[in-house]
Amino acid sequence: MNLKELYQEIILEHGKNPRNLRKTENFNKDAQGKNPLCGDNVHIYLKLNDQKKVEDISFEGSGCAISMASASIMTDLIKGKSDNEAKEIIEDFLGMIKENPELKTNLLKEDDKTKLMCLSGVKQYPMRVKCATLSWHTLVSAMENDGKEISTES
Amino acid sequence: MNIDNIKKEFPIFDEKIQNNDLVYLDSANSSQKPKIVIDKINEFYTKQFSNVGRSVHYLAVAATNMYENTRSSVQKYINAKDKNEIVFTKGATEALNLVANTLGQKYLEEGDEIILTELEHHSNYVPWHYLRKSKNIKINFAEINDDGEVPIENIEKLITSKTKVIAINHLSNVTGAILPIKEITEIAHSKGIIVVVDGCQGAPHLKLDMQDLDCDFYAISCHKMYGPTGLGILYGKKKWLEELPPYQGGGGMIKEVKKDRITYGDLPNKYEAGTMATAQVIAFDQSIKFLENIGIENIINHEKELIAYGQDILRKNNSVKLIGNPKNKGGVLAFTIEGVHPHDIATILDEDGVAIRAGHHCCQILHDKLEIPASARASIGVYNTKDDFDQLNESINKCKKIFDLK
Repeated sequence: MNLKELYQEIILEHGKNPRNLRKTENFNKDAQGKNPLCGDNVHIYLKLNDQKKVEDISFEGSGCAISMASASIMTDLIKGKSDNEAKEIIEDFLGMIKENPELKTNLLKEDDKTKLMCLSGVKQYPMRVKCATLSWHTLVSAMENDGKEISTES
Repeated sequence: MNIDNIKKEFPIFDEKIQNNDLVYLDSANSSQKPKIVIDKINEFYTKQFSNVGRSVHYLAVAATNMYENTRSSVQKYINAKDKNEIVFTKGATEALNLVANTLGQKYLEEGDEIILTELEHHSNYVPWHYLRKSKNIKINFAEINDDGEVPIENIEKLITSKTKVIAINHLSNVTGAILPIKEITEIAHSKGIIVVVDGCQGAPHLKLDMQDLDCDFYAISCHKMYGPTGLGILYGKKKWLEELPPYQGGGGMIKEVKKDRITYGDLPNKYEAGTMATAQVIAFDQSIKFLENIGIENIINHEKELIAYGQDILRKNNSVKLIGNPKNKGGVLAFTIEGVHPHDIATILDEDGVAIRAGHHCCQILHDKLEIPASARASIGVYNTKDDFDQLNESINKCKKIFDLK
């Protein structure tokens, strides 16, 4: 195990200064996610326009450096994507955290992929995987807009 | 037994944990096990195993005697008046559920009130919450002060003519505050109120004298007391255990079973339905012996000195903020570091073999009150030394460095 792989510069920086940590005005989709084991919580707000494009995405909540950085990077990369593109990226990210060595999607630029790959360090820390994936599962719930609260302990 | 060398009674400290010596500061969660306890489990399964209380063959009788012997040891250790006041459960959680459930069945009525404190562990809140739904019971929380203690006045002022139960912890698993159970019980009993004590943190670290404390129920978690997992103890005054209905039904707890009626067994069998955690009960006798050999006074002095040292060292560390400052404090140090989430602290400390807990420690009410989502917690047992706190401090500094804190 290597702490340097887990706490890379990009993660520490996003953790300290999370992007899109606010509430989208006129959001039309949202969902809340909680990790009851550590008390982490995240609320994702989404504004999809008529063309089903993510016009704005933001989040509120608190958590560890990993979960804040993950939500921060996620919101940055999803903004401007269509709902189908967003779904492909989410699936690709969760697949990478779960088992795939690399990201497969062509929807992201190489340096964006590099940012996401920084989160792959959690693979070595099974207890911390949930920190990296909570905001992504919550985004899925928001897009499906079934109002279901996401819990890491379902 | 010399407390300074006590670590060598615990085989786990001979192990390298990810190439590190283990610095175990998570005893409030669960304690490590001394060799005599581990050996007894092995011996029982290897050479002595039988179920207890049913068959008449040699092994069954011997196992039953050992099982009941632990009950006598526990009675003596906690100075209960009667052996039948000791009930084995699957844990302190089950013990507290047993009390809340049976009081709810027979004693509590709609509109009655229960007093808890803001320090309570979820296992001394959730079982009472059930009664809110089923019996319309009202729960009031006695507030903590700025030092993380519950002053007696804060409990006293919640007492009304409807108050039937005060359920409180003996020692907080977050602030470390030790509650004055004896004084609270005196006040409660003068008004006919039952006192239920969650003794999970109290039992391993404080002198236990049920007749002196005079509380009506006291729940113990054996795995926090250098004993096996899967075992708890409920102490209950005989009059209550006799009066209240059984909790679970099954084999071993009955007197007579007919198609149209069932009568229940006498204490303590009435509350011990089904095959119990036999090996654990038998091995727990060794945990009691272990504690008796060191002596609770020695344990208290050792842990007091250690926690004062730990408190001192963490206070001097900038950016570490200790949670609570109770005058009467047990071996728990919960803290936060500004700018670093407790889970990040715990992961970074783990890299050095320093095992702490991060989260809300099953005390969400308390963390809400403190307006923090989580905290980091270092908690001690008899085996800890000042070196452990030095290493904790060093690892905290490493954590601050990673997060670029001064």
